[in-house]
Amino acid sequence: MMQGMLGAFRELDATVAAIEELKHKRVGEITVFTPTPRHELEHAMHPPKSPVRIYTLVGALSGVCFGYWIAIWSSEYWPLVVGGKAIASWIPYTIFGFEVMVLVGALSTVAGMFIHSRIPRLTLTVGYDPRFSHGDFGVWVACPPEKLADAEAILRHHGAVEVRGDR
Amino acid sequence: MATIAQPGYDEPRRPNIATANVQLPAVRDYEQVDDEILATLVPTKKWFGLLFVAIVFLMVGISSWMYQIHEGLGVAGYNPPVMWGVYIITFVFWVGIGHAGTLISAILYLFRAGFRTTIYRCAEAMTVFAVMTAGLFPIIHIGRPWKFFWLIPYPNWRLLWPQFKSPLVWDVFAISTYLTISTTFLFIGLIPDIATLRDRCLNPVRKQILAALSFGWRNSEAEWRHFVRAYLFLAAFSTPLVLSVHSVVSFDFAMALTPGWHTTIFPPYFVAGAIFSGIGMVFTIIIPIRKFFKLQHYVTLNHLDAAAKLALFTSMVVGCAYIIEFFIAWYGGVKAEQEYFWNRVFGQWWWAAWIMLTCNMILPLSLFSQKLRRNPSWLWILSIFINLGMWFERFVIVVPSLSHEFEPWQWTSYAPTWVDYGILLGSFGWFFMWFLLFIKQLPVLAISEIKEIVPPRMKHAAGGH
Repeated sequence: MMQGMLGAFRELDATVAAIEELKHKRVGEITVFTPTPRHELEHAMHPPKSPVRIYTLVGALSGVCFGYWIAIWSSEYWPLVVGGKAIASWIPYTIFGFEVMVLVGALSTVAGMFIHSRIPRLTLTVGYDPRFSHGDFGVWVACPPEKLADAEAILRHHGAVEVRGDR
Repeated sequence: MATIAQPGYDEPRRPNIATANVQLPAVRDYEQVDDEILATLVPTKKWFGLLFVAIVFLMVGISSWMYQIHEGLGVAGYNPPVMWGVYIITFVFWVGIGHAGTLISAILYLFRAGFRTTIYRCAEAMTVFAVMTAGLFPIIHIGRPWKFFWLIPYPNWRLLWPQFKSPLVWDVFAISTYLTISTTFLFIGLIPDIATLRDRCLNPVRKQILAALSFGWRNSEAEWRHFVRAYLFLAAFSTPLVLSVHSVVSFDFAMALTPGWHTTIFPPYFVAGAIFSGIGMVFTIIIPIRKFFKLQHYVTLNHLDAAAKLALFTSMVVGCAYIIEFFIAWYGGVKAEQEYFWNRVFGQWWWAAWIMLTCNMILPLSLFSQKLRRNPSWLWILSIFINLGMWFERFVIVVPSLSHEFEPWQWTSYAPTWVDYGILLGSFGWFFMWFLLFIKQLPVLAISEIKEIVPPRMKHAAGGH
């Protein structure tokens, strides 16, 4: 595990300023902690788009196929013959296609969120502090030992209320 | 997600329109949000008292059900051909109650209606417990609850599969999907709040449980990014789902050739009624909560006002559906249909129909008054009438149709027995027991979402971004 420096901030704009300078100076890999999602932090971090939508699409398509398939297959497997009626009727089977699409699509979305957020997590790992779920913002910079001093200076310069090294 | 720019809040009592920036002027910072919402988790004597009452009601319901299982369905008030009674009425009632939760949590989320923020957690929990309650009733109704699994498609040695063209199997899929997705939606939204609870918890055992339930959530920007995206998609799935579920429930009736049931108006009529009844139950629950927990500065009059407008709108949709039903019966020229509707309002079941019309159509018109929309006491009283009226709406749909079909020799009456009433009472006990347990274990208001509308601390003067 790479060493790093953690800065705890009381103010949002100070956090954003610290992130921007840390990124500009390429001090290390940054993880930001925030009690609530904020656009300002997202803009400062420039993260890639969340891939969760791929899981949603694949899950929904699989679900709709399975929903239609189970109804059609079982109707053909055990035919209930009624004169003039189709054995497998796609109109009512759309209900199964739709419901299973929603079910599998939604559960796949949750799976995608868990996989990319790397949860469930057994330990809270380095850099986390309980105050980040309360009211403070945190910036964790994972960097080689020779850049720790730079990281600390930047975090302090922007008004971090606490700066500490961690590994 | 929230932004730095927060317009000033100058007129706290001014009614708002549904807007993404619903301000909470009495809430200063994130710490206050945590402190005040987590303070609601401390059990009180009143809470224990209410829980006791709910458990007593539940015991009455369980005893009645046990008696019915022992003696058979004959102890319920069924009187052929009225073979759907209180259980199906109550099933539809509870499914309907659940719908407002999804409307508020998912549909209003997609529409960026800011007033949902402080009431959606309550409504979402209400949805889950209402659907849990509803799901019991088809099982109670079939009389042999141990055979219920026959409705589920699973490979078996008899090579038998359910009849996929039957509305009852559609119901199984719709309700079970709805329960799963509603529970998932509620739980995913709770994860960051459970993490907040975990970080503030001093009891080591409870802390361990909360740590497991929060899945090690750390509030990192990456976690939030995936969370927000997943939440959006869950809302997008829940929106058509909520419309489909009560449409499917309405097909239970509309697919039959029974007078009063066989009509294409049923799906939108049922969906609007469900949302209306659900908003009624939201008022029944949220108004005492905001009073007893002193959360009036979170669930403001503006929020109640906006929700009351939704209630008024859905009441008018339901009222319109009632009138159209009569028009179709007259215009269609089917004698059995015309006689049925006459019998509904002026015949055997006039009292039930007029309770329905009064509670669902006439009393909600009071919400045209802004003063009454912003009066929590009136909203609470009205919500009780809405709950009553919506139960009777389902009574009016189920019983008069079956008791007045095509052949006069089939015409009969229906009276629920003490077993029906006992199980009905038990369903309220079951619902409120879960809800009361929920509000003392988990935050009843969404902490992380409320923080989004509270201005963050800034080093320099606030500006746009």
